[in-house]
This record gives sequence, C-alpha cells and structure tokens, in this order.
Amino acid sequence: MSSPQATPAIEVEDLSIRYGNVTAVETVSFAVEAGRQLTLLGPSGCGKTSTLRAVAGLETPTSGRIKIGGRLIYDSKARLNVPAEQRGMSMVFQSYAIWPHMTVFDNVAYGLRVRKESGVALREKVDYALGLVQMRPFADRNASALSGGQQQRVALARAVAFSPSVLLFDEPLSNLDAKLRSEMRIELRELQRRLGVTSLYVTHDLEEALAMSDHIVVMRSGVIEQSGTPGEIYDYPRTSFVADFVGSANLISGMVVGHNAAGQTVTLETSDGQKIHGITRGRTVHGKGTLSLRTVHLKLAKDRAPASQNVWPVTVVRSIFLGDIKQVHVQWGTQELVVRQISTDGIAAGDEAYLFADPMHCILLEQ
Amino acid sequence: MSSGERKELADRELPDAQSRIKLFETVAMATIVAVVASVVLYPLYFLLQASFDVGLPDVRPPTAYGTANYAKVFDYPQIIWNTLVVTFVSTVMALLFGFVSAWVLTRTNVPFKRTLDQLMTVPYYVTPLLGALAWSFLGAPESGFVNQIWRKLGFAGHLIDITSPMGIAWVMALFEGSVAYVMISAVMQSMDPALEEASQVMGASRWRTMWRVTLPLVAPGVLGAAIFVFAEMLGSFSVALVLGTPARFYVITTAIYHFVSQYPPRIPLAAAMGVSLFFVMVMMLWLYRWVTTRKSYVTVSGKAFRPRVIDMGRLRWALFALVAFYVAMSALLPVATLVFAAVQKLAVAFPAASNFTFDNFRQALSINAVRTAMWNSLALAFVTATIGVLVTGLLSWIILRSKLPGRGALEYLAMFPQAVPRLVFAFGMMWAWLVFPLPVYGTFWVLLIAYLTVFMPLGLRTISGVVLQLDRSLDECGQVCGASWGYRMRTITIPLLRPGLLAAWLLIFVASVRELGASILLMGSDSKVMTPAIVEAWFSSSSELTAAMALIQTAVIATTMVVFGLFTRRIAHHGAAAQ
Repeated sequence: MSSPQATPAIEVEDLSIRYGNVTAVETVSFAVEAGRQLTLLGPSGCGKTSTLRAVAGLETPTSGRIKIGGRLIYDSKARLNVPAEQRGMSMVFQSYAIWPHMTVFDNVAYGLRVRKESGVALREKVDYALGLVQMRPFADRNASALSGGQQQRVALARAVAFSPSVLLFDEPLSNLDAKLRSEMRIELRELQRRLGVTSLYVTHDLEEALAMSDHIVVMRSGVIEQSGTPGEIYDYPRTSFVADFVGSANLISGMVVGHNAAGQTVTLETSDGQKIHGITRGRTVHGKGTLSLRTVHLKLAKDRAPASQNVWPVTVVRSIFLGDIKQVHVQWGTQELVVRQISTDGIAAGDEAYLFADPMHCILLEQ
Repeated sequence: MSSGERKELADRELPDAQSRIKLFETVAMATIVAVVASVVLYPLYFLLQASFDVGLPDVRPPTAYGTANYAKVFDYPQIIWNTLVVTFVSTVMALLFGFVSAWVLTRTNVPFKRTLDQLMTVPYYVTPLLGALAWSFLGAPESGFVNQIWRKLGFAGHLIDITSPMGIAWVMALFEGSVAYVMISAVMQSMDPALEEASQVMGASRWRTMWRVTLPLVAPGVLGAAIFVFAEMLGSFSVALVLGTPARFYVITTAIYHFVSQYPPRIPLAAAMGVSLFFVMVMMLWLYRWVTTRKSYVTVSGKAFRPRVIDMGRLRWALFALVAFYVAMSALLPVATLVFAAVQKLAVAFPAASNFTFDNFRQALSINAVRTAMWNSLALAFVTATIGVLVTGLLSWIILRSKLPGRGALEYLAMFPQAVPRLVFAFGMMWAWLVFPLPVYGTFWVLLIAYLTVFMPLGLRTISGVVLQLDRSLDECGQVCGASWGYRMRTITIPLLRPGLLAAWLLIFVASVRELGASILLMGSDSKVMTPAIVEAWFSSSSELTAAMALIQTAVIATTMVVFGLFTRRIAHHGAAAQ
C-alpha cells in the first residue's frame, strides 16, 4: 500500500528521556505515516506520555531526533530544539485544559487568533470546528459551565480549528464515563479519518487503541515491547507482557519437544506431561518456550472436536456469566485455563468437556 | 549499545543553545536568590552580631564577642515568666474559642450558620491594637466603663482589670481566636464523613465514634493550630504594649522595644532577647510543619467534604448565643466602645448631652501630623502592595512552575520572615541600615523595604494558593496552539491568576496600613505612619482623640476594601462582557 506522501509525517528516532537517574524513555523509535493514527499503548509509567510530550515540545528529551513532515524539530546531535509554540502541532490534553475564563468560541478561536486570523474567516473556521463536534449551539456559553463530555468536544474542536498537520492526544477519553467513552472513541476515529490529520495517540486502554489506531506501539518501562497493526498486536503478541496487557491470554510454558523450522510449527510438553502444538511466527526456538492462547480462541464443547491436534478432556471448575459472553475456568492438567465464548452448551461447574485450541492461535512468545 | 556508552553519548550531546539558556537561567536565578537572601538575612546578621557584642558600647563593629548578653536575659526572670503566662493563657483561650466555634459551625445545625461563619473572620480585621484600645476603655481598673457601672451598682473596687496579665491574655485571645477558628474548621471540614459512618455501621455508639474516630482524626490538626497560635502569641506586641507598659508589665516583645527605645538604649541585651525569641519561634514553626505534614491524616487529600451535621434540637439556640457572644466581645463591642468614647469630651460610661462632642474627630483630621501620617501610610501601602504583588507573583511562579535549581531554597528564604516577629525583624533592619553606606535610614525607603520583606510570606502564600490550583496544561495548551510566552501570559496566565493577584494586593495593602511592630522602630521624624502615630497619641495625648484616630484609620481601610471590591467586580463584569 502506498502512502500519499513519501516521508512519514512524524518520525521519532532513538528518543531517550531521563530525569536525573531515572530513565523514562530509552531509545524509542517509530514513524507515523501522513494521515494515519499511531497509538502508544502501555500501563502508567511506561513512558508513553513522556514520549508524546517530547514530540509536542513540552518535555526536553535527553537524546534522539524528532522530525515532523520531514522537518527536523529536535536533534540532540545538531543541538536543535524547536520550542513547542513553533512546531505547528495541536494537542488534546487529558484534563481537556479548557480555559475557564473564556467562552467556547474564544477557546476554539485561540489557535486561529494566534495565527492572526480574524473577522469572517475566523468565525467560519470556528463555526466549522464546532460543527464537527456538534457544539455549535454552545459557542457563546461560558466554558466553565460545560459538562465533561462537552469540554472534551470543545477541546477537540479547539485542537482541529486551525487545521494543524499533526494532532497529539494525551489520554483524551480517560476522564469520561464508560458509555460516553465508547461513543467518543468512534467519533474521534471518524473525525481523524475525515480530516486526514496525522495523529499520535496515547492511552492505557486496550479497546481504545485497537478501535482507533492504524498502528500500535506497545511500551513498557520506557522501551517498545511490540509495534504493529492492531490485528498483529492482538493475534500475534511478541512477549508475555503484550499477550497479557493486550487482551486476556492463557500462557502455557513447557519444554520444546518438536520443531519444524520450514512449517514454522512447534510442540511443547508441559511439566505435567500435556502436549500442545503451536506456531513460531518466525521466532527463535529455544529448549523451553511459552505459548500464548487468547481466551476467545479456545473452544469448549461437550463433544470431542474432530481435529487431530490440541484436543484435551478437561473438567470445568467454574462458569461465570458476563452478559455478552461467558467465562469458563477449566482444569487442564495442573493448570487452570480461561475460556471466553458466547455459548457454553449448558456446561456447568463440575462437568467433563473437551477443550480445543487451533494450533494457528497458539503463538510462541519471544523469551 | 551498552548503557555506559549511551550515558556517555547523552552527556556529550547537551545542546549548545540549551546550555546557553541554562546559563542565563542560572544567573537570573542566582540574582533573585541573592536579592531575597540579602533583604531577609542582612538584618538578621546584624541582629546576631549585636547580640554577641560584649565590647565597648556604641562602637561598631563590635570590639569583642561573647555570650554575656544571653546570660543577662536571665537577669529578667519576671519578663520570661510574664511572657510564658500571657502566651500560655491566651493560647488556651484562643483555642477554646476557635475549637468550640469551629465545632458548632461545622458539625451542628446552629441557625444562621453562614452569617456566623462570615462574622467569625471580622475580629481578624478589627486588629488586636483596636481591641486593646477599646478594652482599655471598657476594663481599666479605675476608669473602665464596666468598672464604673460596677461601682454604680454599689460594689467597691473593680470587677475586671484589663491591664492584668489575665486581661492582656483575654484581649490577645479574642483576636487570635479568629485565626484558630479558621485553622480548626478547615481540619474539621476536610474529614471524610464516611470514616465516622464506617465506625457506626460496625456498631460503635455515637460517643465511641467521637472518642475513637473523630477526635484522633482532628487531633493533629488542632495540635498544629495550637502550636501556630502559641508562636503568634509569643511574637505579638501591640496588646501588651497598650495595656501592659503603663503599669510596667513587660513581655519579651515590649521589653525589646523598651530596651531599644529607652535612653541610653541597651542594644546588645535587646538583640539577645530578639534572637532568643526568634530561635524559639523558628522551633515552634518547625514543629508546626512537622505536626501538620507528618502527623495529619485528614488534611492530606485537601478535598472538602460535607461533614455530618448533628441535630442539637433546642440547644442550637444556646450554641448560636455562644458563638454570637464571641463575635460581640471581639468585634462589635470594641468598635462600639471606640465610637462611644470618641464622641465624648471625657470618656465615661454614662452618656450626658454636655459631654457629647465631635471635637475629637475634628482635631484628628486637622492635626497636620495625623493627616500626613495617614497619607504616608496610604501611599506607602499602595506602593508596597503593587511592588509586593509583582515580586511575590514572580517568586511563586518560579517556585511552583519553573524547574530552576535552587527554587526550594528560594521558597524557604522567602517564607522565612514569617518566623521572625516584625518588631525583632525591624530591630535588625534598624541596626543594619544605620551602618549602610546609603542614607536610607529614617526615610520611606527603609519602611518600604521592611514592608516588602515582612509581607513577602503573606503575598507568596496567597498567590501560590491560586497558582497551585491552575492546571499546568492550561498554559501548555496555549503553547502547543502556537502562542508565544508573552501572548500566553496576557491571554491565559494573568487572567486566570487575577483573583489571586487582586486578593494578595488587598491583603498586603491592608496589612501595610495597619503595620505597627516594624514601623514603630523604623519610621523617622519625616516618615511618620499612622499606626505608630495612634500608639503615640495613646501614650502622650487624650485617649478620646486616639479613639477617633483609630476609627478614622478603620474607616479608611473599610472604604478602601469596599471601593476595591466594587472596582474588581467591575473589571470582572467588563472582562466577561468583552468575551
């Protein structure tokens, strides 16, 4: 797939940020193609927000290079650090940062006024931005009199009003309640697509990252754990951290008893003698290994599945009703595995059943 | 790349432009720290030097050093004893006033709660000096109105003696009670009611809950207030000066003033007393910080809760009367007394038409010295407040928002004057500026520098309170939107800080007009200011004239506050309309 522009809109190379002796970000590199959205995903303290703030110019990195649209804005070797106000980006803050002493209109007009826009052009652009987030009727409202969701919309309108080429999001939805959050998730995604603005998004929320991004970078303790499309990250986690953080997964460790380099398959035997087949995804096979099995990729049924591999008789420990799906815990050898599926065929705690795991969904992790 | 290599690379790669900015910032910061340090520490250095001066009298710098002056402090056990008695008794009384009113107003359904809460802060504005003058009219053993009525009723002698140690402690406690109230009610309001509810749900009775949960939770806060009030009482000056000195009753602050202003002055002894007092107060404030930060459970969250209110039934009217009585004793009665005294030729308890006069006011307004002192005070307060807001605004921004090295030390220095009684600080300044090569001693300049220094903590605390509430991203958002530092200051930071800046201006202005401890030592014959002039009039001319002067000063302050209030409200309206 060819991108509209040859050079990526945001390039971060070997970025490191240190606070005294503490390393917040260590040699992180990634690129965002023009018009695409990349999400930095990770638990709090993983360095994702520091990275975003370094791109914005609000944080001075220790070393590395940052380019926006091919233009170098930070380079530790060239001793270059363009101040935030000259980087021409825009940002949506976690706290919204709506100025309480201004009206909604003045908030949204701020970036335009900074750019010496005035009169009819200003009014039209603010109007358009407010229209994008359905906040036009609130233009003359005092910003301090808005609800959380409305402030969020105004923050968004303000961020896009002056047509920035790059938009930064610092956990913009984390202060909203669950229902509003899932609505805004879709709206944000639609808006980002419609405007074709390059976005860098930071969140600790998995669903948010999966639903909104073209590309996800999973971070942990200041380093990148895995980088890929949402599908890749979800289906083929690289490490046990990613497997666990990105959705729920069962991790099964054992000795490697079979390995087919050409077919990219691997067979493990656990300490209690259970055998399980999986795929390597080209990852190096050692004497020991761990497979990741998504809870939704396991199949539990009363009757034995017709497959020849990875079918085991198990005992159901407990079954939990979660609304849309059911979560079943089964005893698999000495280990307890978690299965999530829509229907459980009336299987209840104490029942005997068969568990099946497609080897294509048993992913070997890097150690 | 190994981590060692990486570290080396990082050290090497510090950008040039950045290091130049760093150098500029370091130099600017060093300058600011040096200026603040010099205004704060220079006087204290001279005070310390004088306290160790055991050489020839009247020779500076000292010809010999020793600790004899400190030993001499103990030749005056009466002063130490007086100070301890007055401080201890007044602290206990003030805490009682504060605790009871705080409990009544936060935890019971007392009627007119909101009004009472506002009235509780009035004593703070009435000031101890005014209270001392008024209570002197009321409770002087011979001429006091209360005692006149007492004798009229057929009793002999006097009912109350306001010039006794207990009388002095009573007046001091009345005015510090307001401070104790504010501190203790803040503690009570910041307690999560769920903590008490949890105890009750688990089956504890109301009394057990109070004893095992409520009291332990508020205890550190109350202890903190106790230490703070005790330190304030130790350094208080005006009440003991007005009520105690005529009967030769001295506490440490009035003794210092006496030794400095008598002829010949006993500077080294006064300095040793000042340093000792300063040392004790620093210890107290250190203890206060320790108690409130380490031992407090409730004030940590800083969140305001809605405390559970106890229905007191009929008793609530008794509680109302109790709080109202405090407000009456500390605010209404003193002001009424001064008005009553000021319209009489000779102040007596029983009004007579022949005794009525407006002469005192006429005289107060016509005496040139008084008029000049009033204008001097107002002009000085205006300049102090204006410069003070700029300086403390800059300081609080540096301390709270910059990442400059040394900002912690700067905060410590700037808050330091809080630990020094203003009289002691002014004494150090007087001694310091006498030998300063520039001829500022006895001029307005020295008063201005003194005011700016002693009110620095006040301004800093007020503005910092607002800066702390401002979300950092409000400014960062402007930055990302492309606005320069100046544009952001104009459109975001200053408008958001405006309430804090205006409040700080008004507080510094009012405090400057009312200032006594520092002014009384530092004003020269050409730089008279109002409050010391009132005290002078009290001691050297008629008390009725003094009452008129004190009322005029109060009226001027009240008018300023009202005008200021209207003015700022108009700015706020104007601002809102413009947007």
